Amino acid sequence: MIGAADLAAIREAHPRVFRRSTAERRRLALIWTVFLAVLALGLWRVLPGWDVFVAGLGKLGFLVRFMIPPAHGGHLDQMLHGLAETLAMAFMGTLLAAFAALPLGFLGARNVLPVRLFHFGLRRLFDGLRGIDSLIWAIVFVAAVGMGPFAGILALAVPDTGTLAKLFAEAIENVEKRQVEGIEAAGANGVERARFGILPQVLPVMLSHVLYFFESNTRSATILGVVGAGGIGLQLAERIRLDDWQEVAFIILLILVAVAVIDWISGRLRRRIIAA
Amino acid sequence: MAIAVAGGGDAVALFETRHRDLRRRKALTTGLGALLFALAFGASAIVGEVDPGRFAAGVPNILDYVHRTLPEISARQPLTDIGEWYWAIDIWLLLMLDTVLMGFVGTLAGTAVALLFCFHAAANLAPTRWSFWLARRGFEFARTVPELVFALIFVFAFGPGPFAGVLAIAIHSAGALGKLFAEVNENADPRPIDALAAAGAGWTETMRFAVLPQVLPNFLSYGLLRFEINVRAASVLGIVGAGGIGEELYLVVRRFLYSDISAIVLLILITVSLIDMGCERLRHGLIEAGPARATR
Amino acid sequence: MLEITGLTRRFGSVTAVDDVTLAVPNGQMVGIIGRSGAGKSTLLRLINRLIDPSAGRLVFEGRDVGALTGRALRDWRTDCAMIFQQFNLVQRLDVLTNVLVGRLNHRSTLSSLFKLFSAEERALAIRTLDRFDLAEAALQRADTLSGGQQQRVAIARALMQEPRIILADEPIASLDPRNGKVVMDALRRINREDGLTVLCNLHTLDTARQYCDRIVGMRAGRVVFDGVPAQLTAAMVRDIYGMSEEELDQAETVTSTAIEAAPSRMAA
Repeated sequence: MIGAADLAAIREAHPRVFRRSTAERRRLALIWTVFLAVLALGLWRVLPGWDVFVAGLGKLGFLVRFMIPPAHGGHLDQMLHGLAETLAMAFMGTLLAAFAALPLGFLGARNVLPVRLFHFGLRRLFDGLRGIDSLIWAIVFVAAVGMGPFAGILALAVPDTGTLAKLFAEAIENVEKRQVEGIEAAGANGVERARFGILPQVLPVMLSHVLYFFESNTRSATILGVVGAGGIGLQLAERIRLDDWQEVAFIILLILVAVAVIDWISGRLRRRIIAA
Repeated sequence: MAIAVAGGGDAVALFETRHRDLRRRKALTTGLGALLFALAFGASAIVGEVDPGRFAAGVPNILDYVHRTLPEISARQPLTDIGEWYWAIDIWLLLMLDTVLMGFVGTLAGTAVALLFCFHAAANLAPTRWSFWLARRGFEFARTVPELVFALIFVFAFGPGPFAGVLAIAIHSAGALGKLFAEVNENADPRPIDALAAAGAGWTETMRFAVLPQVLPNFLSYGLLRFEINVRAASVLGIVGAGGIGEELYLVVRRFLYSDISAIVLLILITVSLIDMGCERLRHGLIEAGPARATR
Repeated sequence: MLEITGLTRRFGSVTAVDDVTLAVPNGQMVGIIGRSGAGKSTLLRLINRLIDPSAGRLVFEGRDVGALTGRALRDWRTDCAMIFQQFNLVQRLDVLTNVLVGRLNHRSTLSSLFKLFSAEERALAIRTLDRFDLAEAALQRADTLSGGQQQRVAIARALMQEPRIILADEPIASLDPRNGKVVMDALRRINREDGLTVLCNLHTLDTARQYCDRIVGMRAGRVVFDGVPAQLTAAMVRDIYGMSEEELDQAETVTSTAIEAAPSRMAA
């Protein structure tokens, strides 16, 4: 195919084709070393002993075998109630967050209140609220208002208020200026300006965000029960503690179906809102 | 139809009827929507045990709770006070590091699985119908079951510790990333794929040389985004015993060690923000420097 | 010798290639002409087996290649390299890797996955690129090259397959006349120097007349002309295209100005 002499000549003429430059090789070596070192550290910290791993796999195999066939074991009404609770939590939590985020979003928008320091502080507050997971909020609210779905609603609403307020503020900052000016020219005051100049433009965007959050909250709400904040998660955690794998599988299937249905409905609604 | 022969007066009447029809239909939809909403609201309020009275009674509790968690930092000796607030900083930092590592290893494992099967899950690339179906359903299942549920099951099987958390994160990430990767694949330019098939390359090689170079920058960007999400997830998985800082957080909450709660929550917030910032810079670098570096 | 007998391909109720019979001796340069939609592209894709025939036989050197599958099919595809109108390079890979891609069927999957091409393969790629004055561009990304350069990279990729036949599907339709000439010259060179059979779909009659030993005219999926360029009379052209050569030229000018006027990234 190619003689040794030819090969040497071509190598001579195009050294980079056969070997990367020293600088590039060093850079690559550095990247790989750092990456592999972090990975090694990570594996060392998280991997269990070999026997634990093997025993766990065996247990997992049993578990899956015990899950089949999934069955509700006569507790269907209880489970459905848990599911209803989950959906109610997602619904009320999203609604609460949306209502709280509406004024906050207006206050946080640069074109509504051009006070830099206030704006900066409010944005950091939003970041703080959404930076803490709803599960942590759930722990706090269970301690404050007691166990049950009400704590879950609050736990969903608080971080979502932060995120929604941020999204709302961004939507408001992106409004068409001329329409707002038109309302101002007609002699509207601040609140009227927001109501008639800005709100009609941003409402579809906001609604679409809210629906999306309802979807995602349905997923989150399924697990809040683990810390006592209501919903189907409580029953799931209980069944796992009680070794009731058929019922565990049944509950997981219930969750899957519920999430799929909510996704479908909310997806259709969102498409309609955007189309309108 | 009457429109063709209708005179001026009829046209107005026709418009009026149509307009009225339209308005009636719109009013009906709105009314129906409002009714459904009211029903959902009512049902949710009852099922969700929403009780304004209880909430009102709870508000002072919440404020009191938050107030208690705030550390006492005096102006006279602030550093000493902060040192006291973070009295267990060595343990917490180690736990936080564990949490980040859980997120890292979990993201990596999830990305690997997603990478392996995302070509099967793309409608334009899947080699066989059944592998397409299997990959799609697999990813769907993995991302719909909440991480915490996987974590509960794995803690039961492997015992408490970070391994259960990593597994849970990995599976959930595989599902979420697999779907995103498959979508990216479906937008890949088909021309190089054609060329490689025509050159006698096998399916695997075609994916490697015609598709992967096109999609890799997007994959990396999604992977980094997922890492940010996973560090957050890892910080709460400890609540069910799956390792990391969450375990400590749940412990101090149940023992009412108020100032420790705020200390740990703040630590999580800072770490998560730092990682978000770092990843954002990396992602921007990825987009700006262009995929030239990423592919060679 | 490539023998095509009664080759037919139907898409639903449309017959794209209708009972085509051709015998192409080794080393011939064949131009296939006809209006767009006449079935030229489908014919080339049928030969490479990117599309499976509905009926008919495809025989190369006494070997039936119409019914191959798996490994044997890939080997056959390696034997008949394709060149595309849009070059079909992997834009984000460098020229060198794009050319080495032609070797994929000659090596093990595992070493390919990690891009472990041997020194010989790299040298061969450089030598092939050098034939088309592109060795210096080996480490550039494919999308930094002009259209004419990209098409020559594609030809280099095809040669790396060590093929017996080159199937070129409108190789110069996306190029300006100057680059078109460079690419056609390159195709003729590999036809003359390497003795490869070249089957080339062309939309301009001039090019076909100038470069090809033999011209095949297609209309509505059927072969309506098969002969040397000298035999292609005005009547035959009218029969193939449904219009005279002057009208054809005019239509051609219109389209090429349209192509030049459009902001084209190929023309960089």
